[in-house]
Amino acid sequence: MNLLLAEDETDLSDVLTAMLERSGFDVDAVENGALAVDKARHKAYDLIILDVMMPVMDGFTAVKEIRALGIFTPVLFLTAKAEVDDRISGLDAGADDYLTKPFAMGELLARVRAMTRRRESYTPRIFTLGDTSIDLDRSELKCKNSISLAVKELKLMELFMTNPGISFDSEELLDRFWSGEESDADALWMYISFLRNKLRSVGSPLIINGKEGGNYTLTSS
Amino acid sequence: MADIYGGYAPILHNIAVELQNKINGYADACMKERGEKLFEHLSWRLKTPESMEDKCRRDGLEPCPRSALKKVHDSIGIRIVCLFIDDIYRNIEEIKKLPGCHVVLEKDFISAAKPNGYRSYHMILEAESPAKDIDGNTPGLYFAELQLRTIAMDTWAALEHELKYKKDIKHPELISEELKRCAGELAACDVSLQTIRELIRQ
Repeated sequence: MNLLLAEDETDLSDVLTAMLERSGFDVDAVENGALAVDKARHKAYDLIILDVMMPVMDGFTAVKEIRALGIFTPVLFLTAKAEVDDRISGLDAGADDYLTKPFAMGELLARVRAMTRRRESYTPRIFTLGDTSIDLDRSELKCKNSISLAVKELKLMELFMTNPGISFDSEELLDRFWSGEESDADALWMYISFLRNKLRSVGSPLIINGKEGGNYTLTSS
Repeated sequence: MADIYGGYAPILHNIAVELQNKINGYADACMKERGEKLFEHLSWRLKTPESMEDKCRRDGLEPCPRSALKKVHDSIGIRIVCLFIDDIYRNIEEIKKLPGCHVVLEKDFISAAKPNGYRSYHMILEAESPAKDIDGNTPGLYFAELQLRTIAMDTWAALEHELKYKKDIKHPELISEELKRCAGELAACDVSLQTIRELIRQ
């Protein structure tokens, strides 16, 4: 896995690089935010570690610029300051986690491992309820038969299947999955209708109860 | 000349035409009464004597007229291709009401697709004919197989048929896997189109 490290204190940078490399990571080390942005622009990293106080460009500005490039690699920032405001600015700038200096090397490594762990490795990709299942990788709904699901159908179905019997009002579903267009309420109803017919077509006993514009609940007949 | 149909081929031909007329009859009536087209097209074929012989051998039957007429049920094949899934079920209802024939067997490969992704609704009909059958029954009783499907299912089946008879395909497993994925996507489209039609008509 590729890690990008921006740290202007040479001694600390060398130690971190050595430790991370010993843990099996490939590390590119640079000494300021501007160089980090430049590196991130040209190579895909699995994690970026940024010091906050650096010459030329600080860590906060670097995160903002990296995010502005459309790069959503997890960012861990290292701050010497213990002030709450500082942590808030870092997270708001687009960082995912922080560590306050001085830190234990073991904790840094644990955070790096946690942040580089593939999401899929611990998030289930198949959800099953009774004899009905959805496969997120194949975008498929399955029971006696299988059928493809569109992106929004898959998201709605995942929510329903992981919360059977729970009532969701239309507003909440619109907030979760739609962007706030005027026609969204109609779209939601259409997707509920799509899902109902798809559940029927695969012979599933699951039913989405509810009327247009009202609350929806997944139950088994 | 005596082929596997033992001189019964013209009778089978007449029965197929008769069934086609009956099916067109209820569809025309529906068009007149409600302005709705129950299917997009209707076609039929008589299994060639050669493929009937092959089929008998494959099924472990003696290749003779009795096998072709009484044991194999698809000497007459009729296919009804519809625009929407619901139309298939409306046709099925109409077919069950047809005079002079009755449904012997139904297989719903739409509700439960075959493992390769094949979807269609199959019905075996036993049709009456004024002509005596090989067992000496009057009216004579003859079998016909009906296949009902949507245009999407028909397109898929055409490609799958081609695949089945094509030899030396590169990556056959990959092709089968992708074809199965397409079957799922086409089925999804069929259901979505059906749903949109319901929403429009509400």
